[in-house]
Amino acid sequence: MTDRDARFRLADWFLKWRQPLRKFLIGKGTVPTSDLDDVAQEVFLRLMRYDRTELIEHPQAYLYKMASNVAAEWAIRGRYQRSREPDWVAALAADDHSDNVEDQAGQIELQDEIERALVTLTPQQRQVLKLQFYSGLNRAEIADRTGLTERSVKRALMKSYERLRHRLDTERFAKVSHARVSHGRE
Amino acid sequence: MDASDRRRRAAEEAAEWWVRLQEHVSSAEREQYVDWLRESPVHVAEMLRIVQVHGALAQFERWTKLPAEASNEPEAKVVSLTPEDNSLTPPANHPKHTTYRSLLVWAVAASLVIIVGLSALFALSARGQIIETQRGERREVALSDGSVVQVDPETRLTVNYESQSRRVTLERGRALFHVAKNPERPFFVRADGTTVRAVGTAFAVEQASNSVVVTVAEGKVAVLTAHQSLRVDQPETVAPSGTASPKTLITVHAASTSAPQVTGRASRPTVAETSIGAAGEILLTANEQVTVGGSGTTEGVREVDSRRELAWADGRLIFENDSVEHAVHEFNRYNRIQLTVTDTALARRPISGVFSASDPDSFVAFLQTVAAVRVTRDAAAGITIHELESSH
Repeated sequence: MTDRDARFRLADWFLKWRQPLRKFLIGKGTVPTSDLDDVAQEVFLRLMRYDRTELIEHPQAYLYKMASNVAAEWAIRGRYQRSREPDWVAALAADDHSDNVEDQAGQIELQDEIERALVTLTPQQRQVLKLQFYSGLNRAEIADRTGLTERSVKRALMKSYERLRHRLDTERFAKVSHARVSHGRE
Repeated sequence: MDASDRRRRAAEEAAEWWVRLQEHVSSAEREQYVDWLRESPVHVAEMLRIVQVHGALAQFERWTKLPAEASNEPEAKVVSLTPEDNSLTPPANHPKHTTYRSLLVWAVAASLVIIVGLSALFALSARGQIIETQRGERREVALSDGSVVQVDPETRLTVNYESQSRRVTLERGRALFHVAKNPERPFFVRADGTTVRAVGTAFAVEQASNSVVVTVAEGKVAVLTAHQSLRVDQPETVAPSGTASPKTLITVHAASTSAPQVTGRASRPTVAETSIGAAGEILLTANEQVTVGGSGTTEGVREVDSRRELAWADGRLIFENDSVEHAVHEFNRYNRIQLTVTDTALARRPISGVFSASDPDSFVAFLQTVAAVRVTRDAAAGITIHELESSH
């Protein structure tokens, strides 16, 4: 029963935050290296303070929870520090149907960016990613369909993520730097 | 080792951990992982970046547009595939950028909350929620994302929700899915060797004796065979029907792009001529149905009346020149009281009509009006229908 309630709450959360999630993932809303590193630094300190045996139970959940707490706390602090910025508060309150032209443009920009990054992978890496994300296959099934071993499938996934991480970061960082210079911010 | 080497190494390890953590990991491995995270803030930062990459991939919509054998192709070619997209890219110095820092911090919080939530969900249901119905039992189940499944009798399915996808495995029977729209988290239904993919639509999947039937009630969907999906890096040609590999992958998603309409009832495979989209998909719209055989072949797209085809979900049984034997079989699936027909001539007799699935008595009464039959009722044996000699 508790599990069931928890699930419904999570579903509510999901609906509530869909719009910000999309904004987070579009090109200009991505986290520049320095900010993400700041969040990571604070999360790292909290991880050190936390009981190790508890962390081991659900390490990923704790990691995400801490990171989201840090980010939320900073956002609240930021709200009081930046009184001239009601736009993004309004944007967060807006529902799913309020997609404006800028959101759509940002979405297209993100899709372009991911596409450019994916093209730099080997055909085999792309195939493995497509089978996972588009066709919804698990690793054993991907191995079955491609004739690769499961080990090779895992290897292809690791290499793809690593490559995409550098590729997407380079693009985003260049864009964010440009924006900062344009506006003379921080 | 300088800072950038350390970061590169950390990124490599983070990617490795991410891939390992997607599977079941032992307590010893989780221990190693926590220790690795607590070694350096760089490790934490790189792990968060890998999460971002995963989020981006889960959002990606152009898998079918990816170039063939393109590892050495110039990027310009890719850009040229979507020229209209570039014209919409906003200038980098758009005024709204002034707010991006605040926005992104909120957004990080929000997206991480979602991931926490979804990973918790996944933890709760690591082995999946099992929905099973017995003979005579129908159920309607609301899933945690707002999707609804109507489950026919003698059906068994498993629901597994993960952060990037919603998966249902139909082990037997049939079910109608009303999928809550969420492009970032596709909905997959697997039956035998067939997978149906949806984003937000209503469709039914039936696992028949040696085939899987997919019927679309609402929205547009696309079907992709495994034969085609295996060729993601090949030129996008259409496989002639009948040459598909033993397992067929059906991919159904709500397509926003225009789908060539299929008209008429196909008695032979017509897939290749009628409805192949750019990516080699068979596109289905509402009121269309496709059957995937055990050998992976399809009989082509059929135009159907989905309300009639899916009437079972509303508890109605519709017969149109179906045999009495078939009707009795259907009634028996929905009820505890079992019907038996003793006479083969009567069993083969065609009938038409609309009945309430939970009311076998009305069917018996109907039979009595169209044929001379004698009905006996027995608490143990149910209702037995005999044809009278005089009816010949």
